Amino acid sequence: MTIFLQATFEGLSLGSVYSLVAIGLVLVYKATDVLSFAHPALVVVGAGVISALAVDRGVPFWLAFIIGIIATGLIGLIVERTFLRPMVGEPVFSVAILTIGIDLLLRTILNNWIGLNPRYLGDPFPSFGNFGSLVVNGVTLKYLELAALFTAIIMISFLTIFFKKSKYGVAMMATAYDQEAALAQGINVGRIFGLVWLIAGVLAGFAGFFITGGFNTLTQTSFISALRALPAVVIGGLDSIPGAVVGSLIIGLTQGYVAYYQINIENIVGFSLGSGFSLIAPYLIMFFILLIRPDGLFGREEVERV
Amino acid sequence: MRKRPDLYTNYKSESAIFSTLTQKVWFVLLLFISLLLPFYLSNYWMLLVTTSLLIAIASWGLNIVSGMAGQINLAHGVFVGIGAYTSAVIGGVATSSVIGFELDMIFWLPISGAVAALIGVIISPVSARLKGLNLGLVTLAIVFIGSHFFSNLKFITGGAGLGRKAAKLKFLGFDLDSGISIGNLILEKNDVIYYFSLILCILLGIGAKNLTRTKIGRAFSAIRDRDIAAEALGINLFKFKMYAFALSSFYAGIAGSIIFIISGGVEPGTFSLLYSITFIAIVIIGGVGTVLGPLYGAFFFTMLPGIIQVILHALGVADTGFFLNAGEIERIVFGFFIIFFLVFEPRGIWGIWFRLRNYFKAWPFSY
Repeated sequence: MTIFLQATFEGLSLGSVYSLVAIGLVLVYKATDVLSFAHPALVVVGAGVISALAVDRGVPFWLAFIIGIIATGLIGLIVERTFLRPMVGEPVFSVAILTIGIDLLLRTILNNWIGLNPRYLGDPFPSFGNFGSLVVNGVTLKYLELAALFTAIIMISFLTIFFKKSKYGVAMMATAYDQEAALAQGINVGRIFGLVWLIAGVLAGFAGFFITGGFNTLTQTSFISALRALPAVVIGGLDSIPGAVVGSLIIGLTQGYVAYYQINIENIVGFSLGSGFSLIAPYLIMFFILLIRPDGLFGREEVERV
Repeated sequence: MRKRPDLYTNYKSESAIFSTLTQKVWFVLLLFISLLLPFYLSNYWMLLVTTSLLIAIASWGLNIVSGMAGQINLAHGVFVGIGAYTSAVIGGVATSSVIGFELDMIFWLPISGAVAALIGVIISPVSARLKGLNLGLVTLAIVFIGSHFFSNLKFITGGAGLGRKAAKLKFLGFDLDSGISIGNLILEKNDVIYYFSLILCILLGIGAKNLTRTKIGRAFSAIRDRDIAAEALGINLFKFKMYAFALSSFYAGIAGSIIFIISGGVEPGTFSLLYSITFIAIVIIGGVGTVLGPLYGAFFFTMLPGIIQVILHALGVADTGFFLNAGEIERIVFGFFIIFFLVFEPRGIWGIWFRLRNYFKAWPFSY
């Protein structure tokens, strides 16, 4: 039972981190019709900025944290303005491939900086409690994971209010529904595009910290964790924000349970699943869900006309 | 007729593989030059040319599924890997950790292609049900699932970080690993691989070109242009998407089976996401949907490290600790090329060549 609770907690915390990336992806997809493969790069760049400031330059951690997240948002904005604005109206596929190019650029420069040794982010979480964790009924709760859970809940509620109440939130929804109609209503669609990328970048910045913070460290392969938000988005449906959250939780929990119960599963199926199976289990889940529902669990089925 | 090369009086001559006399002349000329290349180029350049030819074959495969049939495939590198490991198992040497049967090339070459094609067919029920971005994401999943298999099936692949030796080069009983001498003509192993690659490249290139003229090729274009309309015309989407994936994987498997013989070994870490993206970039930079495009793209990609080295030496910063190393510069240049070709010339290098040709064709009326 303790193991089950442990796996559930870690799964939920992972899922909440994925949901931060996934919401950003869905926002960008809904508003600008771009599926961003550059998001994993944004996630690690944010962590890189925090680490560079807090560890290398000696800036107080919380200041570095805020600067890092704002910087990630700005990079998102710059990416949209420079590379994606000329591609508005082009086929979705070409733009998706273009974001792969952006991902390649950002990550190459970042990897050059990271080098071979893992980088710490200089956050105070590992020093809290007993090596950054507290034990409740035998379940080890890491402060970093708790913080991730709370941050995700706060960000999701904030965004929900933002989309319902604020002028820009409503304008964003209108743009997502129909870009040209929104333009005709006097909405500055270009500004909305930029704002969406800014929000997505900020969310990616938060996710970047939680993926690489504490003892997790930032390495050249950290981006693969962020990439797992993509199956989460697909499971939920590319154009559904609640779907993104649900999908992320499914992915996170799958990963958590498989990590703890792999030996039991192997005993049932009768063959070895290989080391690191928990990392590809999300992709297998996505495979099967798409077989049953090609548009994801919450996705709107696209009406096509010839 | 000779003065009006663009005038076609029947469908047959328009859809011919070489539609003009100029193309025939160039083809024969290039064939002649490429047959003589090993006697004039250094070993280093021969390796680059051979790699280019093999990468071109794999890129043609991706071009069939993505350029001609319009289905995104981010997992092309995995199929190259499947080809590589099939050939390594059938044609390679068994050791204490990996299996190998040391069979002849006439066995492992077609089987590598066939196994890759079979895997393509196996995953096609998923891919045929999906389209657009969801398909792209499923193929992304295949990259990771494939990497997992490659690093865990240790008796086939040797395991992550270790790898295994590639297939032995044995053709019709002749052991070609130490080269061959016919009379006083001595061909080294690399030259032998080059000639095999050249023959395969010509055969499969003409095959790719020929595909555009067949019923299957026309069905592919119809699916790419508008899948619903294609279905209404009586094209079985499921069947033809399956064909596209099978053919594409076959090309990848053939290329993969030979390409690692050049370096001698194959390591599971090679077939990462970046490796698959490379093929997408080659097809985009070369020219999507054309036959010559991927060939240009492959040569460009393979020659790029050499070109960058030359430029670095010319600038005098080759050894003096420029803040990026050559591999990183290469990746950045590659990323920029993906972006710039998509934004400014979506038809790729082929498109540039096409415009240049038309400019001079209508000379002096260059409008």
